[in-house]
Amino acid sequence: MNLKNQLELMIAKKVLLVGNFGVGKTSLIRRFVLNEFSEDYISTIGVRVSKKVVTYKNEAIKLMIWDVAGTNADEKIPKAYFLGASAAMFVFDVSREETYVTLEDNLKMVKELSGLEKITIVGNKKDLLSKEELEVVVDKVSLQIDLLTSAKEDENVEDAFMELTAQTLK
Amino acid sequence: MIPAKIENVFIQVTTDYTGVITNIIAGKFAINEFILQELIYDSCPFLEGTLDALSLNETFLLEGMVIFSDEKEFNVDIELFKHEKSIDVLIHNRTNVYKIVDKLNQNRNDIFFIKREIAEKNIELEKLRKIADKANEEKSRFLAMMSHEIRNPLNAILGYAEMISSEKLNTKVAKYTKTLASAGKNLKVIVDDILDLSRIEAGKLALVSEQISIKKIVKNCKNDFKHLKTNEDVALVFSTSKKIPKFVLGDAVRIHQILANLISNAIKFTNKGSVKTSVKVLSETETEIKLIFEVADTGRGMSKEQGLKIFEEYQQNELNDNRIHGGAGLGLAIVNRLVKAMHGKVYVKSKLHVGTSFFVEISFAKTSKIVTSFKQKVIKEKEVNLKGKNILVADDDVLNQTIVAHILKEEEVTTTIIYNGLEAFAKLKAATFDVVLLDINMPNMTGEELMQQKQDFSSLNANTPFLAVTANTAKEDVERYLALGFSGVISKPYTKADFIQKIKTVFK
Repeated sequence: MNLKNQLELMIAKKVLLVGNFGVGKTSLIRRFVLNEFSEDYISTIGVRVSKKVVTYKNEAIKLMIWDVAGTNADEKIPKAYFLGASAAMFVFDVSREETYVTLEDNLKMVKELSGLEKITIVGNKKDLLSKEELEVVVDKVSLQIDLLTSAKEDENVEDAFMELTAQTLK
Repeated sequence: MIPAKIENVFIQVTTDYTGVITNIIAGKFAINEFILQELIYDSCPFLEGTLDALSLNETFLLEGMVIFSDEKEFNVDIELFKHEKSIDVLIHNRTNVYKIVDKLNQNRNDIFFIKREIAEKNIELEKLRKIADKANEEKSRFLAMMSHEIRNPLNAILGYAEMISSEKLNTKVAKYTKTLASAGKNLKVIVDDILDLSRIEAGKLALVSEQISIKKIVKNCKNDFKHLKTNEDVALVFSTSKKIPKFVLGDAVRIHQILANLISNAIKFTNKGSVKTSVKVLSETETEIKLIFEVADTGRGMSKEQGLKIFEEYQQNELNDNRIHGGAGLGLAIVNRLVKAMHGKVYVKSKLHVGTSFFVEISFAKTSKIVTSFKQKVIKEKEVNLKGKNILVADDDVLNQTIVAHILKEEEVTTTIIYNGLEAFAKLKAATFDVVLLDINMPNMTGEELMQQKQDFSSLNANTPFLAVTANTAKEDVERYLALGFSGVISKPYTKADFIQKIKTVFK
């Protein structure tokens, strides 16, 4: 069986990255899929889908990662995007309070639209804050943050996607 | 531009449930990406996982999906319809506004980054402002504390100078004593200026708005300076326009301070000629009147450059000015701040070796009513005699004690002097006094702490007036003392006349 056929037969799981614009969703995906990072900010229009095969508990899984265009605080994500989604990650920017100040409401909305019970919460751009400042952010956020990441420094990015992968199998 | 044919902007294909393209029904958009018997997921990766989840016989719309064709990126809408054995896929709305959206998007990004940069700068500025404010507060606190600390020994210097000058002295000693008193008074002015400036900087300057007489203020200045004048070659001239109303609303103390500072400054730098002070009406409405105060001298004058700096703190035009003329160079800075606080204007016109004129323009609200309280009660001092009065004095400073004892002895007062608050507390429980003079900063028990226990000695001194004798003369301090039950405050440094008059007021 050639590689293409192998990929086609693999378990495919659709996952979404959502959150305010500019929080670094595309950067996280680029770091995870291509191991690249760019300081240039190009806002995503619509939805881009990237693929990456990951191994989780000895099983190869093809992740279909939907990079959904960033929204403003009260903007709704089209419900259609969530059809067939196995997991979703809500990304916020630890250096911009407006991206996590309404986290509870945003998460509630994502849960309603997707029908998913658990959403992975990730605070990105941890490289921009000191340890003490990060602690303040963690205190401010009322919900349990799954991981603090830095796409720029490649910190916890792999772990965040592995957490997301684990969610797809639950 | 060649318009796109309709068939080039859409494509409709059919796939099976595994995503294999089984038919190309119509349209030619991205035709090279859609190959029969190939997976549709190669060109439309977003359909993987989505096709499986579609409901049967229902149209499903996905908007704004990204598709690549011929190395170009398109945003398209996809309509899906799941039949029993196949799925219809219609790709359309190939957006022709993509570039405009991209541009708008870029603008949004630019704004986003500018906003973020401004927010970061604002945070930085806020931090810097807090640091600067704190440093400024510390400076003001330090100045206030130091001024207070200087006032106590100054009280002793001025008090002793006054005591010595009242003795029989030979001419030489009398002259030395006069110089000593004069230097002490100059030092007092500097300390007062520093306190004033620190108060203004700390935003603690509160202007009052009461019925005042400009003519009376000018008259008071005239009396003060005629009394102080030492140079016979300089004539002091005062004039007020007849058009100035009898009363306006303003802060008499601060207006007096502005004029006094300007006049004193003019006298300092004028060796010969005159210092003329005048007040005229500049403009008038039904409710307001704008006055212009002018203090013109025939002194050494100054250059344009010097004139620009003259209202800055610690500014004196020549290096040895403060040595020759005294002062810390704060007078004009205070004038400037006070005038600004009154929403007025101060400026200077000067010609080197000819003279200088300072102008102050201030608008005052008019008032027609004459408030009776404005006519302050004149205390008829002759009616009050302190002879035989029983006065308790509590002060830990021996020098101050001596001065107080000397002054009171001359008034034939029966004086009891003790060293701290605790002793005063014991005395007040044992005997009745006509007046109690309390220093505030005393060991064991401060004057304030003693007053807080007033009920414990009320059996013998329920109606006894208490006066605070202190260098803490800030408005908030005085208010606190009065709230504690003090009848008044004698501020250090004091003159003998002030001291006696203040005591007499409590017997009115």
